[in-house]
Amino acid sequence: MNRAQPNLASVTTINADGSRRFLHPADVQGRFTVLRRITALALLTGYVALPWIPVNGHPAVFLDVAQRRFHLFGLTLATQDLWLAFFLITGLGFSLFYITSFFGRVWCGWTCPYTVFLEHVYRRVERWIDGDAPARRKLEDAPWSATKISKRVLKHGFFLLISAIIAHVFSSYFVSLRQLYAWMHGPPSEHLFAFGVILSLTGSLYFAFSWFREQFCIILCPYGRLQSALTDDNTVNIGYDKTRGEPRGKAGTTDAGDCINCVRCVQVCPTGIDIRNGLQLECIGCAACVDACDTVMQKIGRKPGLVRYDSLNGLNGGPTRFIRGRTIGYSVMALIGLVVFAFSARSVKPMNVTATRMKGAPYFMADGSIRNQFNVQVINKNNAPARFLMELHDAPAVHFNLGTTAIEVPAMGQASPLAVLTLPQLDFHGPTTVTLVVREDKPGGAAIERKLEILGPDTRLQNHDYLSPDHYKK
Amino acid sequence: MNTPRSNDSEPVLREHVFDGIQEYDQKLPNWWLFTFYITIAWFVIHWLAYYQFNVGQTDEKRVDDAMAAIENNRLRQFESLDDKKLWEMSRDPKIVEAGRASFMMQGRCVTCHGEDLMAKKTHPENLTLVGQALADKEWQYGGNPSDVLKIVRKGSPDVTKGMPPWEPMLGPRGCVEVAAFIMSHHKEGEPFTISAPPAPAK
Repeated sequence: MNRAQPNLASVTTINADGSRRFLHPADVQGRFTVLRRITALALLTGYVALPWIPVNGHPAVFLDVAQRRFHLFGLTLATQDLWLAFFLITGLGFSLFYITSFFGRVWCGWTCPYTVFLEHVYRRVERWIDGDAPARRKLEDAPWSATKISKRVLKHGFFLLISAIIAHVFSSYFVSLRQLYAWMHGPPSEHLFAFGVILSLTGSLYFAFSWFREQFCIILCPYGRLQSALTDDNTVNIGYDKTRGEPRGKAGTTDAGDCINCVRCVQVCPTGIDIRNGLQLECIGCAACVDACDTVMQKIGRKPGLVRYDSLNGLNGGPTRFIRGRTIGYSVMALIGLVVFAFSARSVKPMNVTATRMKGAPYFMADGSIRNQFNVQVINKNNAPARFLMELHDAPAVHFNLGTTAIEVPAMGQASPLAVLTLPQLDFHGPTTVTLVVREDKPGGAAIERKLEILGPDTRLQNHDYLSPDHYKK
Repeated sequence: MNTPRSNDSEPVLREHVFDGIQEYDQKLPNWWLFTFYITIAWFVIHWLAYYQFNVGQTDEKRVDDAMAAIENNRLRQFESLDDKKLWEMSRDPKIVEAGRASFMMQGRCVTCHGEDLMAKKTHPENLTLVGQALADKEWQYGGNPSDVLKIVRKGSPDVTKGMPPWEPMLGPRGCVEVAAFIMSHHKEGEPFTISAPPAPAK
């Protein structure tokens, strides 16, 4: 069994014949491992808990696809507010760029759901059933026996169960918990689509975390590749201090560097690289090698930090510059996105109003009046019926419908009332703009204004002086 | 840049060099290769199903069928309707009630034709409503239910009048209900007069 050392030219997890080499990362202890576990626990708790915490009568995060209402921590967005997502997503995107330019792939190693599920859920179960790294390797190479079969069945049973749980929690972000519960108790034939979604999600998760694992991060994930492009010589990554470590020698020798070539850093790596070869595309920045090396250094009485969080400049003995064009640019872009989102999210109203001139002639004349007709559309984004009042402002001479008009709009429905504006012809002195106000019929309710233009016959055509031939002689 | 090391696991460099660039002799991961095989197999299945045996429906056909079904459904709602049926509907309390709800919704028909359908309910400032009276026995474009339904659906033939087509907003069913509600103010067979079209706007 030749387990060759990782190199820069090929992927450790793929054998020369193209077959897969499974990694069995060794156990590791240390401060980053503890911090990472705490982070993962907080994230997992948040993931499971968010659909259960009600904010303003809805789950904290509830992307209600059936009703097309998106509830985010008390903020309810309708499909009409989708434009806000542009700022939210670019803001979050540039925030990640910004963090990456400072701290490299900290997202991958610490907070990516893939890493959190793989390292802190599935691998923990594997560790619990199959034992530590040497035991797991031994079991993999062992011939099929009753013990191996029972262990495998147990492990994959747990994997499937966990995948199903994650899939159900994921679904609860898109359908209500009540609905999910009802589906779980009903026969699948009544909700084939939902059943299929859960089934394929469970299958994908099971495949990803029981077999595919680090292949995703190394080969498929575009985000990992993108992150690599966002770093530079001043970005803090995980690196090996060559100046201090080389040449590698046995512990106790004096003429060698600090690295004793114990390959602990290689054994603990979840993507199977040797961090001493420098920064590589496989590295997800999980800091397992940092903890592993620090433990060894401590044991042999040397200073920790041979493998540490540092920039390439820092590892070469220079200073790390945090303020540089790249970080300033990303922070400005992240700020723009998030600030615009924050401001525009505050302006989101519980209704949507559009007013367009009604099909047909632009204005109508009867009984010495000019009439303009508008189609108003009021969309109620609330999930309760609402009453809106339609009023006309800045238009003393204009008669509006029957005065103030009340509109009842069903929950999450829409109504399309008319706005009929009538103006005595004598009071018409050319096109004027009036303001239509639709407001919630409750104290402190939101209001939306729309400008309506009142059109009529050209007033000059009723001016006899203007039309008389004498006018043209002037 | 990488000088080959004496490590067994180091892949072999192939001999050819172009512009100083060399390549390693390495295999693609098998799972990656399998995705190609799967697409090849899928192509055969797809080609046989869609182009040889016509098992599946193309998206275009599906959309066309759905659109035709909607249009058929729309036409069917009207083709079976005649004056007799509409009079019957005007006596059906359920249909009339649905029509009343549409009619009386603030900002709909009631805005111009009034709550009493006489367009006479006056504004606080004595403004007559702009619509036609619908509960009297005088009609401009015919007083049969089908005439009324046509105006509701398509709007007034006189575009200077401002009665818009309502079918796009109420849908076929809504239009029929509103027409039934209007006719519920009339009796089958009652005489009506057709007034002369009003003089064009001054």
